[in-house]
Amino acid sequence: MTARPSGDSTGSPWRVILCDDNPMLLEALCEVVTAQPDLEVVGTALNADQAIALARRHEPDLVVLDVRFPGGGHFVAKEIARCSPDSRVVAFSAYGDKGSVDEMRNAGVAEYVLKGATNREFLAALRRVASP
Amino acid sequence: MTHQPPPQEYARKQTGPLSEAAFTLLVQGVLDYGIFMLDPQGYVISWNAGAERIKGYSAAEILGRHFSVFYPTEDKEAGKPQWELETAVADGRLEDEGWRLRADGSRFWANVVITALWGENGELRGFGKVTRDMSERRAAQHALSERRRLFDHLVQAQETERRRIAWDVHDDSIQAMVAVGMRLELLAERVPESCAAELERLEASVRGAINRLRNLTFRLNPPGIDRHGLIEGLSNHLDDVVGAWGLTRSFEHRLDKEPTPETAITVFRIVQEALLNVRKHAHATAVTLRVESADGGILTRVIDDGTGAPMSRDVVHEHFGIIEMRERAETAGGWWSMRSEPGTGTTVEFWVPSPEPTPPLTDDLP
Repeated sequence: MTARPSGDSTGSPWRVILCDDNPMLLEALCEVVTAQPDLEVVGTALNADQAIALARRHEPDLVVLDVRFPGGGHFVAKEIARCSPDSRVVAFSAYGDKGSVDEMRNAGVAEYVLKGATNREFLAALRRVASP
Repeated sequence: MTHQPPPQEYARKQTGPLSEAAFTLLVQGVLDYGIFMLDPQGYVISWNAGAERIKGYSAAEILGRHFSVFYPTEDKEAGKPQWELETAVADGRLEDEGWRLRADGSRFWANVVITALWGENGELRGFGKVTRDMSERRAAQHALSERRRLFDHLVQAQETERRRIAWDVHDDSIQAMVAVGMRLELLAERVPESCAAELERLEASVRGAINRLRNLTFRLNPPGIDRHGLIEGLSNHLDDVVGAWGLTRSFEHRLDKEPTPETAITVFRIVQEALLNVRKHAHATAVTLRVESADGGILTRVIDDGTGAPMSRDVVHEHFGIIEMRERAETAGGWWSMRSEPGTGTTVEFWVPSPEPTPPLTDDLP
Protein backbone atom coordinates (compact mmCIF):
# COMPACT_ATOMS: atom_id res chain seq x y z
CA MET A 1 0.00 0.00 0.00
CA THR A 2 1.30 3.45 -0.83
CA ALA A 3 0.83 5.96 1.93
CA ARG A 4 1.75 9.56 1.75
CA PRO A 5 4.31 10.44 4.37
CA SER A 6 2.27 13.34 5.69
CA GLY A 7 -1.27 14.66 5.82
CA ASP A 8 -2.17 18.31 5.56
CA SER A 9 0.05 21.23 4.44
CA THR A 10 1.63 21.57 7.88
CA GLY A 11 2.79 17.98 7.69
CA SER A 12 0.38 16.73 10.37
CA PRO A 13 -1.76 13.72 9.53
CA TRP A 14 -5.38 14.21 8.44
CA ARG A 15 -7.61 13.87 11.46
CA VAL A 16 -10.41 11.34 10.94
CA ILE A 17 -13.62 10.39 12.75
CA LEU A 18 -15.11 6.97 11.96
CA CYS A 19 -18.86 6.37 12.36
CA ASP A 20 -20.48 2.94 12.08
CA ASP A 21 -22.96 1.19 14.32
CA ASN A 22 -21.34 -2.20 13.87
CA PRO A 23 -18.55 -2.45 16.50
CA MET A 24 -16.71 -5.21 14.65
CA LEU A 25 -16.61 -3.19 11.46
CA LEU A 26 -15.73 -0.01 13.31
CA GLU A 27 -12.76 -1.74 14.89
CA ALA A 28 -11.50 -3.06 11.54
CA LEU A 29 -11.95 0.38 9.96
CA CYS A 30 -10.01 1.88 12.82
CA GLU A 31 -7.13 -0.53 12.30
CA VAL A 32 -7.01 0.14 8.56
CA VAL A 33 -6.96 3.91 9.01
CA THR A 34 -4.61 3.89 11.99
CA ALA A 35 -2.07 1.92 9.93
CA GLN A 36 -1.72 4.93 7.59
CA PRO A 37 0.93 7.47 8.62
CA ASP A 38 -0.92 10.32 6.92
CA LEU A 39 -4.21 9.59 8.71
CA GLU A 40 -5.04 9.82 12.39
CA VAL A 41 -8.21 8.49 14.01
CA VAL A 42 -9.35 11.09 16.56
CA GLY A 43 -12.61 9.40 17.45
CA THR A 44 -15.10 6.62 16.67
CA ALA A 45 -18.88 6.84 16.96
CA LEU A 46 -21.56 4.15 17.14
CA ASN A 47 -24.53 6.52 16.85
CA ALA A 48 -25.61 9.96 15.68
CA ASP A 49 -25.20 11.74 19.03
CA GLN A 50 -21.64 10.50 19.43
CA ALA A 51 -20.78 11.39 15.85
CA ILE A 52 -22.10 14.94 16.10
CA ALA A 53 -20.47 15.52 19.50
CA LEU A 54 -17.10 14.28 18.18
CA ALA A 55 -17.35 16.41 15.05
CA ARG A 56 -18.16 19.49 17.12
CA ARG A 57 -15.26 18.84 19.50
CA HIS A 58 -12.53 17.86 17.03
CA GLU A 59 -13.63 19.56 13.80
CA PRO A 60 -11.86 16.75 11.94
CA ASP A 61 -10.57 16.88 8.37
CA LEU A 62 -12.48 13.73 7.46
CA VAL A 63 -15.56 11.87 8.66
CA VAL A 64 -16.29 8.31 7.48
CA LEU A 65 -20.03 7.86 7.86
CA ASP A 66 -22.19 4.75 7.54
CA VAL A 67 -25.28 5.46 5.43
CA ARG A 68 -27.69 3.26 7.38
CA PHE A 69 -26.49 4.83 10.60
CA PRO A 70 -28.76 5.04 13.66
CA GLY A 71 -30.31 8.48 13.46
CA GLY A 72 -29.96 8.51 9.65
CA GLY A 73 -26.69 8.94 7.73
CA HIS A 74 -27.95 11.91 5.72
CA PHE A 75 -29.18 13.65 8.87
CA VAL A 76 -25.82 13.19 10.58
CA ALA A 77 -24.01 14.44 7.47
CA LYS A 78 -26.08 17.63 7.51
CA GLU A 79 -25.48 18.17 11.23
CA ILE A 80 -21.74 17.72 10.78
CA ALA A 81 -21.76 20.22 7.90
CA ARG A 82 -23.37 22.67 10.30
CA CYS A 83 -21.21 22.19 13.39
CA SER A 84 -17.94 21.53 11.57
CA PRO A 85 -18.20 23.09 8.10
CA ASP A 86 -14.63 22.29 7.07
CA SER A 87 -14.99 18.56 7.71
CA ARG A 88 -15.38 16.45 4.59
CA VAL A 89 -17.66 13.45 4.81
CA VAL A 90 -17.11 10.12 3.04
CA ALA A 91 -20.20 7.92 3.00
CA PHE A 92 -19.50 4.23 3.54
CA SER A 93 -22.39 1.95 2.68
CA ALA A 94 -23.51 -1.50 1.66
CA TYR A 95 -26.21 0.14 -0.47
CA GLY A 96 -25.19 1.61 -3.79
CA ASP A 97 -28.60 2.45 -5.21
CA LYS A 98 -29.24 5.82 -6.79
CA GLY A 99 -31.69 6.89 -4.07
CA SER A 100 -29.20 6.32 -1.25
CA VAL A 101 -26.33 7.95 -3.16
CA ASP A 102 -28.45 10.98 -4.10
CA GLU A 103 -29.68 11.38 -0.54
CA MET A 104 -26.14 11.46 0.82
CA ARG A 105 -24.86 13.72 -1.96
CA ASN A 106 -27.68 16.14 -1.19
CA ALA A 107 -26.59 16.12 2.43
CA GLY A 108 -23.18 17.37 1.30
CA VAL A 109 -21.22 14.12 1.26
CA ALA A 110 -18.04 14.37 -0.83
CA GLU A 111 -17.50 10.69 -1.70
CA TYR A 112 -19.57 7.54 -1.60
CA VAL A 113 -17.66 4.29 -1.05
CA LEU A 114 -19.36 0.90 -1.21
CA LYS A 115 -18.67 -1.53 1.59
CA GLY A 116 -16.81 -4.33 -0.11
CA ALA A 117 -14.35 -1.97 -1.80
CA THR A 118 -10.72 -2.85 -1.10
CA ASN A 119 -8.86 -0.99 1.64
CA ARG A 120 -6.78 0.56 -1.11
CA GLU A 121 -9.87 1.97 -2.84
CA PHE A 122 -11.31 3.14 0.46
CA LEU A 123 -8.11 4.94 1.49
CA ALA A 124 -7.71 6.46 -1.95
CA ALA A 125 -11.19 7.97 -1.58
CA LEU A 126 -10.25 9.45 1.82
CA ARG A 127 -7.13 11.04 0.37
CA ARG A 128 -8.97 12.39 -2.67
CA VAL A 129 -11.44 14.08 -0.38
CA ALA A 130 -8.83 15.35 2.09
CA SER A 131 -6.82 17.14 -0.57
CA PRO A 132 -9.14 17.85 -3.50
CA MET B 1 -83.30 -22.11 -43.42
CA THR B 2 -85.04 -19.40 -41.48
CA HIS B 3 -88.61 -19.45 -40.34
CA GLN B 4 -90.74 -16.61 -41.67
CA PRO B 5 -93.94 -15.93 -39.78
CA PRO B 6 -97.05 -15.74 -41.97
CA PRO B 7 -97.87 -12.10 -42.85
CA GLN B 8 -101.08 -12.12 -40.85
CA GLU B 9 -99.43 -13.30 -37.65
CA TYR B 10 -96.65 -10.74 -38.07
CA ALA B 11 -99.13 -7.91 -38.46
CA ARG B 12 -101.04 -9.00 -35.40
CA LYS B 13 -97.86 -9.05 -33.31
CA GLN B 14 -96.96 -5.57 -34.37
CA THR B 15 -100.24 -3.84 -33.88
CA GLY B 16 -102.07 -5.81 -31.18
CA PRO B 17 -102.34 -3.61 -28.10
CA LEU B 18 -101.56 -5.16 -24.72
CA SER B 19 -104.85 -5.41 -22.93
CA GLU B 20 -105.04 -4.27 -19.33
CA ALA B 21 -105.67 -7.84 -18.32
CA ALA B 22 -102.57 -9.02 -20.17
CA PHE B 23 -100.50 -6.27 -18.60
CA THR B 24 -101.77 -7.24 -15.16
CA LEU B 25 -100.83 -10.84 -15.92
CA LEU B 26 -97.33 -9.72 -16.92
CA VAL B 27 -96.80 -7.74 -13.73
CA GLN B 28 -98.36 -10.44 -11.58
CA GLY B 29 -96.20 -13.14 -13.09
CA VAL B 30 -92.79 -11.45 -12.90
CA LEU B 31 -90.72 -13.40 -10.40
CA ASP B 32 -87.44 -11.49 -10.29
CA TYR B 33 -88.93 -8.18 -9.22
CA GLY B 34 -91.33 -7.41 -6.45
CA ILE B 35 -93.78 -5.01 -8.13
CA PHE B 36 -96.63 -3.63 -6.08
CA MET B 37 -98.60 -0.50 -5.33
CA LEU B 38 -99.09 1.57 -2.22
CA ASP B 39 -101.94 3.96 -1.59
CA PRO B 40 -101.04 7.60 -0.85
CA GLN B 41 -100.64 6.75 2.86
CA GLY B 42 -98.29 3.82 2.19
CA TYR B 43 -100.68 0.87 2.55
CA VAL B 44 -100.11 -2.07 0.20
CA ILE B 45 -102.88 -2.28 -2.41
CA SER B 46 -101.42 -4.71 -4.95
CA TRP B 47 -98.92 -7.57 -4.88
CA ASN B 48 -97.21 -9.78 -7.42
CA ALA B 49 -95.48 -13.16 -7.53
CA GLY B 50 -92.03 -11.61 -7.37
CA ALA B 51 -92.92 -9.68 -4.23
CA GLU B 52 -94.22 -12.87 -2.65
CA ARG B 53 -91.04 -14.74 -3.62
CA ILE B 54 -88.71 -12.00 -2.36
CA LYS B 55 -90.54 -10.89 0.76
CA GLY B 56 -92.32 -14.09 1.73
CA TYR B 57 -95.82 -12.63 2.19
CA SER B 58 -98.78 -13.94 0.24
CA ALA B 59 -101.11 -11.30 -1.20
CA ALA B 60 -103.72 -12.16 1.40
CA GLU B 61 -101.25 -11.58 4.21
CA ILE B 62 -99.92 -8.25 3.07
CA LEU B 63 -102.72 -6.38 1.29
CA GLY B 64 -103.95 -3.57 3.50
CA ARG B 65 -100.86 -3.49 5.69
CA HIS B 66 -98.52 -0.48 5.86
CA PHE B 67 -95.33 -0.88 3.85
CA SER B 68 -93.16 0.13 6.83
CA VAL B 69 -93.45 -3.53 7.85
CA PHE B 70 -90.70 -4.23 5.28
CA TYR B 71 -88.21 -1.99 7.09
CA PRO B 72 -85.91 -2.96 9.98
CA THR B 73 -86.72 -1.42 13.36
CA GLU B 74 -83.85 1.09 13.23
CA ASP B 75 -85.10 2.43 9.89
CA LYS B 76 -88.67 2.63 11.16
CA GLU B 77 -87.52 4.52 14.25
CA ALA B 78 -85.57 6.92 12.05
CA GLY B 79 -88.72 7.58 10.02
CA LYS B 80 -87.21 6.22 6.84
CA PRO B 81 -90.41 4.78 5.25
CA GLN B 82 -92.28 8.07 5.53
CA TRP B 83 -89.22 10.04 4.40
CA GLU B 84 -88.91 7.83 1.32
CA LEU B 85 -92.53 8.46 0.34
CA GLU B 86 -92.10 12.19 0.85
CA THR B 87 -88.97 12.19 -1.28
CA ALA B 88 -90.77 10.25 -4.03
CA VAL B 89 -93.55 12.84 -3.95
CA ALA B 90 -91.08 15.74 -4.04
CA ASP B 91 -88.70 14.32 -6.66
CA GLY B 92 -91.01 12.02 -8.59
CA ARG B 93 -89.05 8.90 -7.62
CA LEU B 94 -86.67 7.54 -5.05
CA GLU B 95 -84.06 4.81 -5.35
CA ASP B 96 -82.47 3.20 -2.32
CA GLU B 97 -80.33 0.21 -1.43
CA GLY B 98 -80.49 -1.21 2.03
CA TRP B 99 -81.67 -3.92 4.38
CA ARG B 100 -85.30 -4.98 4.25
CA LEU B 101 -87.21 -7.62 6.20
CA ARG B 102 -88.88 -10.76 4.91
CA ALA B 103 -92.11 -12.08 6.43
CA ASP B 104 -90.10 -14.41 8.69
CA GLY B 105 -88.05 -11.48 10.04
CA SER B 106 -84.87 -12.38 8.16
CA ARG B 107 -83.05 -9.62 6.26
CA PHE B 108 -82.18 -9.27 2.61
CA TRP B 109 -80.28 -6.56 0.76
CA ALA B 110 -82.73 -4.75 -1.47
CA ASN B 111 -82.67 -2.32 -4.31
CA VAL B 112 -85.88 -0.32 -4.09
CA VAL B 113 -87.44 2.19 -6.47
CA ILE B 114 -90.51 4.11 -5.34
CA THR B 115 -92.35 6.13 -7.96
CA ALA B 116 -95.12 8.60 -7.14
CA LEU B 117 -98.21 8.00 -9.27
CA TRP B 118 -100.38 11.00 -10.18
CA GLY B 119 -103.95 11.11 -11.40
CA GLU B 120 -105.13 13.09 -14.42
CA ASN B 121 -106.01 16.06 -12.20
CA GLY B 122 -102.64 16.06 -10.50
CA GLU B 123 -103.77 14.32 -7.34
CA LEU B 124 -101.50 11.73 -5.72
CA ARG B 125 -102.94 8.31 -6.46
CA GLY B 126 -100.32 6.27 -4.67
CA PHE B 127 -96.90 4.78 -5.29
CA GLY B 128 -95.42 2.12 -7.51
CA LYS B 129 -92.74 0.14 -5.75
CA VAL B 130 -90.22 -2.14 -7.42
CA THR B 131 -87.97 -4.23 -5.19
CA ARG B 132 -85.04 -6.44 -6.19
CA ASP B 133 -83.20 -8.86 -3.94
CA MET B 134 -79.52 -7.94 -4.28
CA SER B 135 -78.27 -10.22 -1.49
CA GLU B 136 -76.37 -12.55 -3.78
CA ARG B 137 -74.67 -9.77 -5.65
CA ARG B 138 -73.80 -8.07 -2.41
CA ALA B 139 -72.37 -11.32 -1.04
CA ALA B 140 -70.31 -11.74 -4.20
CA GLN B 141 -68.97 -8.20 -3.86
CA HIS B 142 -68.15 -8.86 -0.24
CA ALA B 143 -66.34 -12.08 -1.14
CA LEU B 144 -64.35 -10.16 -3.75
CA SER B 145 -63.40 -7.39 -1.39
CA GLU B 146 -62.57 -9.92 1.33
CA ARG B 147 -60.33 -11.73 -1.14
CA ARG B 148 -58.71 -8.40 -1.96
CA ARG B 149 -58.11 -7.68 1.70
CA LEU B 150 -56.48 -11.09 2.13
CA PHE B 151 -54.36 -10.50 -0.94
CA ASP B 152 -53.21 -7.11 0.35
CA HIS B 153 -52.40 -8.68 3.68
CA LEU B 154 -50.46 -11.48 2.01
CA VAL B 155 -48.41 -9.04 -0.08
CA GLN B 156 -47.64 -6.86 2.92
CA ALA B 157 -46.72 -9.85 5.09
CA GLN B 158 -44.37 -11.14 2.42
CA GLU B 159 -42.75 -7.75 1.96
CA THR B 160 -42.33 -7.27 5.69
CA GLU B 161 -40.63 -10.64 5.96
CA ARG B 162 -38.35 -9.92 3.00
CA ARG B 163 -37.44 -6.53 4.44
CA ARG B 164 -36.62 -8.13 7.77
CA ILE B 165 -34.36 -10.72 6.15
CA ALA B 166 -32.70 -8.01 4.03
CA TRP B 167 -31.99 -5.91 7.10
CA ASP B 168 -30.65 -8.88 9.03
CA VAL B 169 -28.29 -9.74 6.17
CA HIS B 170 -27.29 -6.09 5.82
CA ASP B 171 -26.86 -5.29 9.48
CA ASP B 172 -25.06 -8.45 10.47
CA SER B 173 -23.68 -10.73 7.75
CA ILE B 174 -22.48 -8.03 5.35
CA GLN B 175 -20.91 -5.88 8.06
CA ALA B 176 -19.11 -8.86 9.57
CA MET B 177 -17.76 -9.94 6.19
CA VAL B 178 -16.66 -6.41 5.32
CA ALA B 179 -14.70 -6.38 8.57
CA VAL B 180 -13.18 -9.76 7.74
CA GLY B 181 -12.21 -8.57 4.25
CA MET B 182 -10.54 -5.44 5.63
CA ARG B 183 -8.58 -7.41 8.16
CA LEU B 184 -7.49 -9.99 5.58
CA GLU B 185 -6.21 -7.20 3.36
CA LEU B 186 -4.35 -5.65 6.29
CA LEU B 187 -2.91 -9.02 7.18
CA ALA B 188 -1.79 -9.65 3.60
CA GLU B 189 0.37 -6.52 3.84
CA ARG B 190 2.07 -7.74 6.99
CA VAL B 191 2.91 -11.37 6.18
CA PRO B 192 5.65 -12.76 3.94
CA GLU B 193 4.84 -12.67 0.23
CA SER B 194 4.38 -16.43 0.06
CA CYS B 195 1.42 -16.23 2.44
CA ALA B 196 0.15 -12.92 1.08
CA ALA B 197 -0.99 -14.41 -2.22
CA GLU B 198 -3.13 -16.96 -0.40
CA LEU B 199 -4.62 -14.26 1.85
CA GLU B 200 -5.41 -12.12 -1.16
CA ARG B 201 -7.28 -15.00 -2.76
CA LEU B 202 -9.19 -15.46 0.47
CA GLU B 203 -9.94 -11.79 0.63
CA ALA B 204 -11.13 -11.74 -2.98
CA SER B 205 -13.57 -14.53 -2.27
CA VAL B 206 -14.86 -12.65 0.78
CA ARG B 207 -15.46 -9.58 -1.38
CA GLY B 208 -17.24 -11.71 -3.94
CA ALA B 209 -19.51 -13.02 -1.20
CA ILE B 210 -20.15 -9.46 0.04
CA ASN B 211 -21.25 -8.44 -3.44
CA ARG B 212 -23.57 -11.39 -3.72
CA LEU B 213 -25.08 -10.67 -0.31
CA ARG B 214 -25.52 -7.04 -1.26
CA ASN B 215 -27.36 -8.09 -4.42
CA LEU B 216 -29.49 -10.40 -2.31
CA THR B 217 -30.55 -7.63 0.06
CA PHE B 218 -31.23 -5.42 -2.93
CA ARG B 219 -33.44 -8.05 -4.53
CA LEU B 220 -35.24 -8.78 -1.27
CA ASN B 221 -35.87 -5.14 -0.44
CA PRO B 222 -35.46 -2.92 -3.48
CA PRO B 223 -34.92 0.60 -2.18
CA GLY B 224 -37.58 3.12 -3.04
CA ILE B 225 -40.40 0.76 -4.07
CA ASP B 226 -42.51 1.66 -1.04
CA ARG B 227 -41.55 5.33 -0.90
CA HIS B 228 -41.68 6.75 -4.38
CA GLY B 229 -44.50 4.93 -6.17
CA LEU B 230 -44.48 2.35 -8.93
CA ILE B 231 -43.06 4.32 -11.85
CA GLU B 232 -40.14 5.78 -9.96
CA GLY B 233 -39.48 2.44 -8.26
CA LEU B 234 -39.33 0.68 -11.64
CA SER B 235 -37.28 3.45 -13.18
CA ASN B 236 -34.73 3.32 -10.37
CA HIS B 237 -34.64 -0.47 -10.61
CA LEU B 238 -33.90 -0.27 -14.34
CA ASP B 239 -31.14 2.27 -13.73
CA ASP B 240 -29.58 0.55 -10.75
CA VAL B 241 -29.88 -3.07 -11.79
CA VAL B 242 -30.39 -3.43 -15.53
CA GLY B 243 -27.93 -0.61 -16.22
CA ALA B 244 -25.34 -2.47 -14.19
CA TRP B 245 -25.89 -5.58 -16.35
CA GLY B 246 -24.87 -3.59 -19.42
CA LEU B 247 -28.28 -3.88 -21.13
CA THR B 248 -29.79 -1.02 -23.10
CA ARG B 249 -33.14 -0.24 -21.53
CA SER B 250 -36.20 1.78 -22.36
CA PHE B 251 -39.18 2.47 -20.19
CA GLU B 252 -42.56 3.60 -21.49
CA HIS B 253 -45.35 4.28 -19.05
CA ARG B 254 -48.84 5.69 -19.03
CA LEU B 255 -50.71 5.26 -15.76
CA ASP B 256 -54.02 6.99 -15.05
CA LYS B 257 -53.50 6.77 -11.31
CA GLU B 258 -51.02 5.51 -8.78
CA PRO B 259 -51.96 1.95 -7.76
CA THR B 260 -52.29 0.80 -4.16
CA PRO B 261 -48.97 -0.19 -2.56
CA GLU B 262 -49.97 -3.87 -2.84
CA THR B 263 -50.67 -3.62 -6.56
CA ALA B 264 -47.46 -1.64 -7.08
CA ILE B 265 -45.43 -4.27 -5.25
CA THR B 266 -47.06 -7.04 -7.29
CA VAL B 267 -46.18 -5.35 -10.59
CA PHE B 268 -42.69 -4.52 -9.37
CA ARG B 269 -41.95 -8.05 -8.20
CA ILE B 270 -43.10 -9.65 -11.44
CA VAL B 271 -41.05 -7.17 -13.50
CA GLN B 272 -38.06 -7.83 -11.25
CA GLU B 273 -38.31 -11.59 -11.87
CA ALA B 274 -38.89 -11.11 -15.61
CA LEU B 275 -35.79 -8.90 -15.85
CA LEU B 276 -33.77 -11.47 -13.91
CA ASN B 277 -34.91 -14.02 -16.46
CA VAL B 278 -33.75 -11.75 -19.29
CA ARG B 279 -30.35 -11.38 -17.73
CA LYS B 280 -29.88 -15.07 -17.04
CA HIS B 281 -31.19 -16.67 -20.17
CA ALA B 282 -32.09 -14.36 -23.00
CA HIS B 283 -28.62 -13.28 -24.20
CA ALA B 284 -30.27 -9.95 -24.94
CA THR B 285 -28.70 -6.56 -25.56
CA ALA B 286 -31.81 -4.47 -24.93
CA VAL B 287 -34.92 -4.66 -22.84
CA THR B 288 -38.11 -2.59 -23.06
CA LEU B 289 -40.53 -2.15 -20.19
CA ARG B 290 -44.04 -0.89 -20.90
CA VAL B 291 -46.53 -0.13 -18.13
CA GLU B 292 -49.99 1.24 -18.91
CA SER B 293 -53.47 1.49 -17.47
CA ALA B 294 -55.88 -0.89 -19.20
CA ASP B 295 -59.29 -2.37 -18.38
CA GLY B 296 -59.33 -1.10 -14.81
CA GLY B 297 -55.89 -2.52 -14.16
CA ILE B 298 -52.26 -2.32 -15.16
CA LEU B 299 -50.91 -4.02 -18.27
CA THR B 300 -47.17 -4.58 -18.22
CA ARG B 301 -44.80 -5.93 -20.87
CA VAL B 302 -41.15 -6.84 -20.52
CA ILE B 303 -39.72 -7.27 -24.01
CA ASP B 304 -36.19 -8.37 -24.80
CA ASP B 305 -34.30 -8.74 -28.07
CA GLY B 306 -32.58 -11.95 -27.05
CA THR B 307 -32.46 -15.41 -28.54
CA GLY B 308 -36.09 -16.04 -27.80
CA ALA B 309 -35.18 -19.31 -26.16
CA PRO B 310 -34.88 -18.47 -22.50
CA MET B 311 -34.54 -22.07 -21.39
CA SER B 312 -31.63 -22.74 -19.15
CA ARG B 313 -29.88 -25.74 -17.76
CA ASP B 314 -31.12 -24.53 -14.40
CA VAL B 315 -34.58 -25.80 -15.17
CA VAL B 316 -35.68 -26.00 -11.55
CA HIS B 317 -34.91 -22.39 -10.74
CA GLU B 318 -36.30 -21.08 -13.98
CA HIS B 319 -39.46 -23.01 -13.51
CA PHE B 320 -39.72 -21.59 -10.01
CA GLY B 321 -39.34 -18.04 -11.33
CA ILE B 322 -42.07 -18.56 -13.90
CA ILE B 323 -44.40 -20.12 -11.36
CA GLU B 324 -43.77 -17.23 -9.01
CA MET B 325 -44.57 -14.62 -11.67
CA ARG B 326 -47.71 -16.41 -12.75
CA GLU B 327 -48.89 -17.01 -9.19
CA ARG B 328 -48.37 -13.39 -8.21
CA ALA B 329 -50.42 -12.15 -11.15
CA GLU B 330 -53.17 -14.71 -10.66
CA THR B 331 -53.39 -14.22 -6.90
CA ALA B 332 -53.91 -10.54 -7.58
CA GLY B 333 -56.83 -11.50 -9.82
CA GLY B 334 -54.97 -10.97 -13.09
CA TRP B 335 -53.20 -13.05 -15.74
CA TRP B 336 -49.65 -13.69 -16.92
CA SER B 337 -48.16 -15.00 -20.16
CA MET B 338 -44.79 -15.44 -21.82
CA ARG B 339 -44.27 -15.50 -25.59
CA SER B 340 -40.99 -16.64 -26.94
CA GLU B 341 -39.90 -17.19 -30.52
CA PRO B 342 -36.37 -18.04 -31.63
CA GLY B 343 -34.69 -15.01 -33.12
CA THR B 344 -37.22 -12.42 -32.02
CA GLY B 345 -36.78 -12.37 -28.28
CA THR B 346 -39.16 -12.97 -25.44
CA THR B 347 -42.12 -10.98 -24.17
CA VAL B 348 -43.47 -11.37 -20.68
CA GLU B 349 -46.90 -9.82 -20.48
CA PHE B 350 -49.24 -9.58 -17.53
CA TRP B 351 -52.25 -7.69 -16.30
CA VAL B 352 -53.33 -7.12 -12.71
CA PRO B 353 -56.43 -5.25 -11.55
CA SER B 354 -55.82 -1.89 -9.95
CA PRO B 355 -58.63 -1.53 -7.43
CA GLU B 356 -59.27 1.36 -5.11
CA PRO B 357 -57.89 0.86 -1.60
CA THR B 358 -60.09 -1.64 0.27
CA PRO B 359 -62.46 0.09 2.68
CA PRO B 360 -62.22 -0.68 6.36
CA LEU B 361 -64.42 -3.52 7.65
CA THR B 362 -68.01 -2.50 8.35
CA ASP B 363 -70.36 -3.88 10.93
CA ASP B 364 -73.20 -4.55 8.49
CA LEU B 365 -75.38 -7.44 9.39
CA PRO B 366 -75.35 -10.40 7.04
